[in-house]
Amino acid sequence: MKDHLIQLYRARPKTNFVRLSLLVMALLISYTWIGGGFLSSNNSIIQRTENLERFVGELKPYELRGESFNIYSYLSWAKTMMAEKGWQAAETTLAISVAAIVLGGILGNLLAIPASRNFASNFNRDHLNLSALLLAGPARLLLIFLRTIPEYVWAFLLLSLIGPNAWPLVLALALHNAGIIGKLSAEVIENLPDQPQVSLHSTGASRLQIMLTAVLPAALARLLLFFFYRWETCVREATILGMLGIVSLGFWIQDARARNFYDEMIFFILLGALIVVIGDVISTLVRTHIRRIF
Amino acid sequence: MNAARGSLCLKNVTVAYQGIEALAEVSLTLKPGEAAALIGLSGSGKTTLLNTCNALIQPTNGAVSIDGKKFSEMSSQELRYARSRIGFIHQSLSLVPNLRVIQNVVSGRLGQRSFLGGARDLLFPSTNVVEKVYEVLDSVGIAEKIYERTDRLSGGQQQRVAIARALFQDPLILLADEPISSVDPVRAKATISLIREICKKKGLTLCVSLHNLDLAKTFFPRLIGLQDGRLIFDKATETVGANEINKLFNLPDGCIDFGPLTSKPSMLGKSLE
Ligand SMILES: Nc1ncnc2c1ncn2[C@@H]1O[C@H](COP(=O)(O)OP(=O)(O)O)[C@@H](O)[C@H]1O
Ligand SMILES: [Mg+2]
Repeated sequence: MKDHLIQLYRARPKTNFVRLSLLVMALLISYTWIGGGFLSSNNSIIQRTENLERFVGELKPYELRGESFNIYSYLSWAKTMMAEKGWQAAETTLAISVAAIVLGGILGNLLAIPASRNFASNFNRDHLNLSALLLAGPARLLLIFLRTIPEYVWAFLLLSLIGPNAWPLVLALALHNAGIIGKLSAEVIENLPDQPQVSLHSTGASRLQIMLTAVLPAALARLLLFFFYRWETCVREATILGMLGIVSLGFWIQDARARNFYDEMIFFILLGALIVVIGDVISTLVRTHIRRIF
Repeated sequence: MNAARGSLCLKNVTVAYQGIEALAEVSLTLKPGEAAALIGLSGSGKTTLLNTCNALIQPTNGAVSIDGKKFSEMSSQELRYARSRIGFIHQSLSLVPNLRVIQNVVSGRLGQRSFLGGARDLLFPSTNVVEKVYEVLDSVGIAEKIYERTDRLSGGQQQRVAIARALFQDPLILLADEPISSVDPVRAKATISLIREICKKKGLTLCVSLHNLDLAKTFFPRLIGLQDGRLIFDKATETVGANEINKLFNLPDGCIDFGPLTSKPSMLGKSLE
């Protein structure tokens, strides 16, 4: 039996695809490290260590330098930072992310309806008719357009149109995420089991009625999952986009760096990380709950 | 309303999928209130035939008409109305699993409602609607499940919900495509008997495809035999001879690997699929 097994093992169908791609990857990595100039640097090791030491030294809050370590003085420093800029920036960041995902979610899901080929073809099981192409085609193109332009570029364009307030960030995140959510939702809607839809169609229900009765209940859980997943990303992006000059956390990070206040910079970076973690936790809790109840 | 209510007529109906005929020159008429069973092997065209009867499939050739009016000549408004009066119980379960039973039943009547009216029935049904749903569910024996989530029900109970939905439509014609394929043999008999009784009581035209010959013979006065998309016979049950049944279920030459269950006429009382 053992011989037979060995024989079978030798005769197994093999593809060299995995091995070949691993080899190509190894070659690519070594090429970029050697050819990309990552290894050579003008700074000597000693210089770099000095830089690092100075950097770490400047991470200590300016007011507290020279004092010995005391957790209470650190806390009261953090408290003043929060009172001066932190709370307001954190609030703005959260507000931007929530406004953006609500707008983006509504727009994306509205566009997902015509973009789903089964809706476009009137749930006819024949996804390739003309009306489907005329409706789903443009909707899909619009979604592609929305999501291929990065948030950063959207924000940049809108900033020059609307001016420096929170709206360019909100709209930039909303437009980009509408493109993503719309595509994901359309995909979900198209891949639902079509029997319930077809049977309602056969009793004379209109396609909007089918959407409400057969599609929405079946897809709702996954649509909500996408919504909260994208909200997570929005929180992160809202922080970063502040670097464009809107008073979210990113703005203060950028500002502190420009003034070489590394202590403030690291404080805001950590605050940003904390907000992202809080967003992640909320989103994970909600998503777990959704999975359980549907 | 017209005098003729619920008559169904197929004239030389041919349906071809990519050039292959699933239905060939089928003609038959069901008078209002008549009941017939459609029998034939798997792949003989039963589903296709039933689907042409509510215009889910348009025939390549020939015409289907309801109460004398051809589907192909109806406006989309008329088609919607006609469809709303044809109940259809599908082969595989066609309910929305995470809706409540009452919502699935109510959805049968969407074809007769506006968008907002339908949405209201679905989300905030009036007492009147709730009582009607309760009545219909009671007639199929699962009234106490009215507020249950549909996917918490057993296969047989879900099949009853599907029947209730079709009845809630207040149809003139009821079509059912192997309505017992997901139910055990005892329930199967009860289900067919139930459908038959309700249609008799309400005077609905009924056409059911079955792969269980015994049930077809017991409950239906008229048998329609299909083979490879062709009508082999269409007559009163007691006049259908054993040789016709044998012919209907004989497999084509060179196709012997199906096992005794489908090829031996003596076993035809059992499941044919
Ligand atoms: N959508 C389809 N595309 C191509 N062929 C089909 C399609 N539906 C059914 N057929 C073919 O038509 C024939 C009849 O099928 P069907 O009406 O489902 O038979 P039954 O319901 O009696 O089992 C079969 O040969 C089947 O393969
Ligand atoms: Mg079938």
